[in-house]
Amino acid sequence: MSDFVTYASLVEGDEFLSPPVRFEVNQHVVDRYINATNDTTVELQKVDAQGDRIAPPMLAAVYVIDALRTRVGPPGGIHAKQRFKLHRPAKIGETLYTSATVLKLYERKGRIYVEMTTETKNQTGELITSGLITRIWGKE
Amino acid sequence: MSSTNELQHFNGFSVGDDLPELIEAVDQNMIDAYADASGDVNPLHIDPEFAKTTIFGGTIAHGLLTLAFVSRVLSAWNWQGWAYGGELDIVFLGPVRPGDTVRVCAKIDAIEQREDGVYARCSLACYCGEKAVVKGTVISKI
Repeated sequence: MSDFVTYASLVEGDEFLSPPVRFEVNQHVVDRYINATNDTTVELQKVDAQGDRIAPPMLAAVYVIDALRTRVGPPGGIHAKQRFKLHRPAKIGETLYTSATVLKLYERKGRIYVEMTTETKNQTGELITSGLITRIWGKE
Repeated sequence: MSSTNELQHFNGFSVGDDLPELIEAVDQNMIDAYADASGDVNPLHIDPEFAKTTIFGGTIAHGLLTLAFVSRVLSAWNWQGWAYGGELDIVFLGPVRPGDTVRVCAKIDAIEQREDGVYARCSLACYCGEKAVVKGTVISKI
């Protein structure tokens, strides 16, 4: 049995992450991301009217990929395309849950492509980010 | 059904405006730091010996590190419109390697009046030297 997800096991319309994968947005995660990306956005240093500190919008790339990494394809896969809709930034202290659905499977020029939609909500069900990821599947 | 109406100018924004450019040097330390921050420790990014055996011939940066630079540009340009409802649609065209300098360029291609507000549609490209490594579109409420 392979230790990665096989292309043959994927079915369009199937839930890829079940249950949705949990991610804690804490100060440490946000600070490391800000430092690694040299992000000096002023709004990230402030607290909002509710006393919350917000995370960089593109932290989406961390919590979505973190969720998808729980079920990896074969080595050698490449991230080909990405869409994100940023409904609002996550806040420190929130717990996020990312789900993914297989949207489309196809071959082109000898390469296998897998498209998945993703949706990330917080602990109350509020939508934070939605997206579409296209990966070139690694050779099995 | 949604309808759009194209404008040339709105609220100080005009079709053809360039967004502020961002230039960022990428080295292995930055890639390692991103791997640590994101948890994406694929050896292609952080293990030079392993990366030598791949088609890239050496380590490459995470594509999503480049998107972090894109997000910095949009956050500085129009924080509210980007962080609360912004959209991004990009294709990764090539690798960013340690020692590369990434230049993020974007320009307003259209201003669209929609039912829920006015949006700038911007073309986006990230370059290493003359080579485009990311291309796409971003949309931000203005």
